[in-house]
Amino acid sequence: MTRSVSNSRTAAFVGVHGLLLIAAALMLTPFVWLLCAAFKLNEDVVASTFLPLNPEGFLGVAWNRLTVIHFRTLLGSLGLGRAALISVFLSATTAALATLLCAAAGYALAKLQFRGRTWAAALVLAAVTIPGPLLLAPSYTVLYQISLLDSYWGLILPAAAPAFGVFLFRQAMTSSVPDQLLEAARIDGCSELRLFSLIALPLVRPMVGAFMLITFLGAWTNYIGPQIVLQTPAKFPLAVFIAQLKGTYYQDYGLLMAATLVSIIPVLGLFLLLQREFISGLTSGAVKG
Amino acid sequence: MATQTPDAHVPSSAAAGSGPAGHASDGGVRARLTRAVDLLPFSFGGLLICALAVVSGVMVAANPAPRSSGPELWTFARLHHEMYEPIIRQWNAGEADPSRHLTPLLLSMPALERRMLSGFLSGMPTAELLEVERRVAARAFVGPVDSVGFVDLTERLRADGLLDRINAPSFSPWSSRGRIFGIPHDVHPVMLGYRADIVEAAGIDVSKIHTWEDFAREMAPLMVDKDGDGKSDRWLINFWPSQSDLIEVLLLQAGGGYFDEAGVPTVNSEANARVLATLVTWCVGEPYPKGKRIAGDAPDFSASGNALKLEGYVVSALMPDWMCNIWRNEIPQLAGKVKLMPLPAWPKPLPSQRRTSVWGGTMLGIARTAKDVDAMYEVAKRLYLSDDLARTLYTVGDIITPVRDHWSDPIFDKPDPFFSGQPKGRMYIDLAGDVPARSSSPYYILAQARVQDALLSLKDHAERRLPVTVEDLLPEARQLLENAQRAVLVQMRRNTFVDLPAGLDAPTEPQRGAAQ
Amino acid sequence: MTPALPASGPLGPQASAAAPRRRSLSGPALAAWLLLAPWLILFALFVLWPLGEAARLAVLQTFGPSATNFVGGRNFSALFADPLFWIAVRNTAIYAATSVLIQLPLALGLAMLLNRPDVRARAAFRLIFFSPSLVGVVYVAMIFGIMFEKRTGLINRALHSTIGWDLEYPWLQNAIMAALVIASLWQWVGFNMVYFLAALQNVRQDLMEAARIDGAGPWARFRLVTLPAIRPVAGFVVLLSVIGSFQLFELPYLMLNSSAGPENRGLTIVMYLYQTGFEIGDLGYASAIGWVLAVLLVVCAVAQRLLSRGEEDAA
Repeated sequence: MTRSVSNSRTAAFVGVHGLLLIAAALMLTPFVWLLCAAFKLNEDVVASTFLPLNPEGFLGVAWNRLTVIHFRTLLGSLGLGRAALISVFLSATTAALATLLCAAAGYALAKLQFRGRTWAAALVLAAVTIPGPLLLAPSYTVLYQISLLDSYWGLILPAAAPAFGVFLFRQAMTSSVPDQLLEAARIDGCSELRLFSLIALPLVRPMVGAFMLITFLGAWTNYIGPQIVLQTPAKFPLAVFIAQLKGTYYQDYGLLMAATLVSIIPVLGLFLLLQREFISGLTSGAVKG
Repeated sequence: MATQTPDAHVPSSAAAGSGPAGHASDGGVRARLTRAVDLLPFSFGGLLICALAVVSGVMVAANPAPRSSGPELWTFARLHHEMYEPIIRQWNAGEADPSRHLTPLLLSMPALERRMLSGFLSGMPTAELLEVERRVAARAFVGPVDSVGFVDLTERLRADGLLDRINAPSFSPWSSRGRIFGIPHDVHPVMLGYRADIVEAAGIDVSKIHTWEDFAREMAPLMVDKDGDGKSDRWLINFWPSQSDLIEVLLLQAGGGYFDEAGVPTVNSEANARVLATLVTWCVGEPYPKGKRIAGDAPDFSASGNALKLEGYVVSALMPDWMCNIWRNEIPQLAGKVKLMPLPAWPKPLPSQRRTSVWGGTMLGIARTAKDVDAMYEVAKRLYLSDDLARTLYTVGDIITPVRDHWSDPIFDKPDPFFSGQPKGRMYIDLAGDVPARSSSPYYILAQARVQDALLSLKDHAERRLPVTVEDLLPEARQLLENAQRAVLVQMRRNTFVDLPAGLDAPTEPQRGAAQ
Repeated sequence: MTPALPASGPLGPQASAAAPRRRSLSGPALAAWLLLAPWLILFALFVLWPLGEAARLAVLQTFGPSATNFVGGRNFSALFADPLFWIAVRNTAIYAATSVLIQLPLALGLAMLLNRPDVRARAAFRLIFFSPSLVGVVYVAMIFGIMFEKRTGLINRALHSTIGWDLEYPWLQNAIMAALVIASLWQWVGFNMVYFLAALQNVRQDLMEAARIDGAGPWARFRLVTLPAIRPVAGFVVLLSVIGSFQLFELPYLMLNSSAGPENRGLTIVMYLYQTGFEIGDLGYASAIGWVLAVLLVVCAVAQRLLSRGEEDAA
C-alpha cells in the first residue's frame, strides 16, 4: 500500500520533471543558438548550426574558430556603449515616470470620490482598447507641433501615460488598500497627497515593481518609436542601433547576434532583481477586488 | 477573489496577503502608519530603476549629442556614407558659413523611408538631400505631380546637358509624369554569375549558351542526386517564386513588366503570362531533360542562401553589379570560383531578346523644403557625378557609374580575381545601354505582390497537373494575371489625385477568383 | 474588471466617502484631480489629440499638406469591399484564436507543473520559461527568421533528423501562421505562465483536499476547484492575449522582410494599416482600418466583461 503510493509519487515526480526539462530545453534552444552565433565568425554562422565542429578539438568543437571580435567591434569603433547608456536613460526614466503617474491616477480613481470619476474610469477602460498603430501617423504630427521631434522627451512623455497602467493600478489599489486605513489616517489629519504617497503606494509595492519592469521592458525593446522620433544617430538607443547594423545589402550575423546578446543581458538582470514583486504584482492587477 | 460581503465591519476590499482586516483603534493606526512608512514604496529593484534614471540622465545631459544646424544628407548605405565623407568634408571646407555645412547621416532604410514619407505627408522638414532606393522613392509619387516632396530637377538636368551624359534608362525610376525628381546613382545591369569551378569541371562550354533553353540543355548534366533521396541536390539557377525581386528582373528582361511609361498597369500582358508559365516549369516536376525543372531556392541576403550557394546547391544566380559586392563580402570562400556571363535570352515570341536586365537602383533627391536648392543641386552633382566617385564606387562597391563619360576609365578593365580574373566592370558597361526601363509607379510594390501571388497559384496549379509545358499553363497564367491586374486597378482607382487614362477608369465586374 | 465603484457593499464606499466630505468638502476631490492631472494632460496630448487627428483623416484622402480631398464614407465602403482587408481580418483572427487556444492552455499546464509542491529548482524553471519575454520582438523575429529557413534552419534540420521531416519545407511561405504562432509561443508562454502561477495561489488547498477525499479524479478536481479559482485571472489573460494578437504586426513584418508573404498569408490588420498608410501613403484609408480595428477590440473587451459578469451571476 505505502509502497505503491510512494511508487506512484516517484513516477509523478519523474514525469513532472521530465516534462519540465523538455520544455526548458525547447525554450533554451534559441538562446543557445544565439549565444553560439555571437561568438562565431560570419562564415561559421552560416556553416554550422551551433558551434563549429572539429573532431580533433576538445569535445569535438573547433574552439579556435570562436571569437570575441564582435564584442570588441561593438564596444570600440561602433560605440555601443553610448547607445546602451541612452537605452538605460530612456527606459528607466519612462518606467519611473509612468509608474508614478499611473499609480497616482489609479489611486484617485479607486479611492477618492469626485465628480467625473465615472467618466474618467470609463475613459481609461476605453483607452485600453485603442490600438497604438491607429495613432502612429497622427502622433508624429503632434510631436512636430510641440517641437519634441528628435528629443528624448518625445519618446518618454508619450510612453509615460499608458491607460493600461492606470487600469492596473486602479485594480491593485482597490484590492490592496483598505478604505478603513485611509479613513483612520484622514481622521489623524493626514493630507490627501501623503495618504497616497505614504500609505497607498507602499501597499501596492508589488504592482509598482511589476509595472516598472513592464514599462522598462517596453521602452527597452521599443523599436518603431525611436526610429520615427529620433533623427540624430548619436541619440539612438540600442534597438535602433542594432537595426542600423543590419545593413540593407550586407549582414554580419555574428555581429548582430553579439549585439542582441548585449541588449538582452541587462533586462535579464533587472528581472532577477524584481522577480518576486513582479509575480505578485501581476496577480494584484489581474485579480478583481 | 475577495468575496463581497454586505457587512460593513469587514473591509470590503481587503485582499489576501495585504492590508489587515477589521476596524482599527487610533493606536493601531499609528502603529500601522509607521509600519507603512517603513515600507518604502519602492523595493530595491524599483529604487535601482529610479537611481538609473537619475544617473543616466545626468550622464546623457553631460554628453549632449552634437546637433548640426546646417543641411543634412540622409543615406541608408554604410558604404555610401563612407564614400561621401571626404567629398563632403571638401565641400564644407569651401563654405565659410558653418550653418551651410552639410552633415551626412546614416539611417536604416525603414527609418529613412518612414521619416521621408512622414515629412512629405505632413509638410515637415526632412533632410535637404535624400538618397533613396527605388521602392522608397516611388512612395513620393502617389499624389499630384506638384505635391511630390522632391524638387523637380528636369530643367536643371537638361540645362547641364546631363540628360545626355547619363545612361537614359537610369532616369526611369525617378521620373513621374514626365518630370525627373532625382539624380541617378547607378545602372545596375544584371548578368548571370555561375560556379565556374563546377561548370568547367563538367566540361560544359558556356559559349554555346544563348537562350534560357540552351542554358537548361547544356547545364542539365550538373543536376545529380548525390545522397540518393530521389531528389537532385544541385539546381542550375537560383530562382523561386518566393523571391519576388527575381520575378521582376526576368519579366523586364523579356520585355514584360508591371506598368507602361504612362504608369498604366500592364500586369496582364501576354509577355508576362508567357514568362510566368516558363518560370513555373523551372520550379516543378522532374529535372531537365526528363522534365523542365532547373531552379532551386537559395535566397539572397540570408545565411542559409549563402550556405546553399557555397555548397553548390545552385550553380548560377542573377547578378546585378552590386550583388558582386555582396558575394565578395558574404561568401568570400567563392573567390576565384565564380564567373559572369550575359543572361541567356528569352526566345521569341517574347518581345525582347536582350541579354541583360536591371535590379535595384538609388537616386539622390532634393527635398522641396530645402532652403537653398541651388547649393544642394551643386553638392549633389559633386557627390554623384565626379570621376573620383565613379572610381570609388566601382572599387569599393563594385557598382558602375551611370555617367557615360567615365566609362572609358581603365579601372573598369582591371581583372577581378574574385571573378576568376574577368574584367567585370567592362562586361557590365557593355550591357549598360541595353538595360530595360523601369516604372516609378507607387503601385509597383502592389503589382509585384499580386504578380507573385499569380506565380504561386500557377505553380500550385501546375503541380496538380504534372508533367506540364509552357503552352499548357498559358491559359491559366493569363487568367491569373487578369485578376492581378484588376486587383491593382481597384487600388489605383481609389486614388482621387491621379487620373487613369480613359478606358481604365470604368470599374469592371470582377471575374472568377478576383479575390486573389 | 470592476465597475467604477470599488466595492458593491451597500455601506462600503459610500459610508467611508461621506465622512471626509462632511469635514472638508473639496479635500479628496481636489486631491483626486491633482493626482489625475499629470496623467490626464499627457493622455490628452498624446492620445486624444492624435485620436482626433485620426478621426479627421478617416474621411479624407490626403497626400501632403496641400493635397486633400474629402471622400466622406468612401474610405470605409472601399475597405469593406476590399478583399485584402478581409484576408487580413481572417489571418489575424486565426492567429488570435490559435494563440489563445494553444498558448494559454500550455501556459496553464506549465504553471500547474511548476505549482506542484514537490518540484525542484522552481525558480530556475520559472526564469527559463519567462526569459524569452524579455527579448524584444525585433530579436525574436531575427532569431526565428533564421531558424525557420529551409535546409539550413535549425527547425527543419532538427525535424529532419528526428522524424524525417522534409528538409526543404518552406515554413515562411507555406506555413507562415504556424511559424508566427510558434515564435510568439516561445516569446509569451512564460509570461502568461506567470499570470497563471500567481492565480494558482488562490486555489484553496482545503477544498482540494476535500475533493480528493470525496474521490474526485484529477480532471474533476481541476474543473471544480482549480478552474473557478483562476477564472478571473484567466479571463484577464484571454482578453490581453486577444488584444495583443489583434495588434500583431512587427513579428510578421520583420520575419517576412517587410512583406506579407506569398498570397498575403502573413498579412495582418495592422500590417495592412501600415502598408496603406506608410508604404502607399494613404493615411485616410489607414485611419479607416485603424478605426475598424478599434471597434473590433472594443467588442472583444465588452464581450469579455459580459461573459465574466454572466459567470459571476451564475456562480
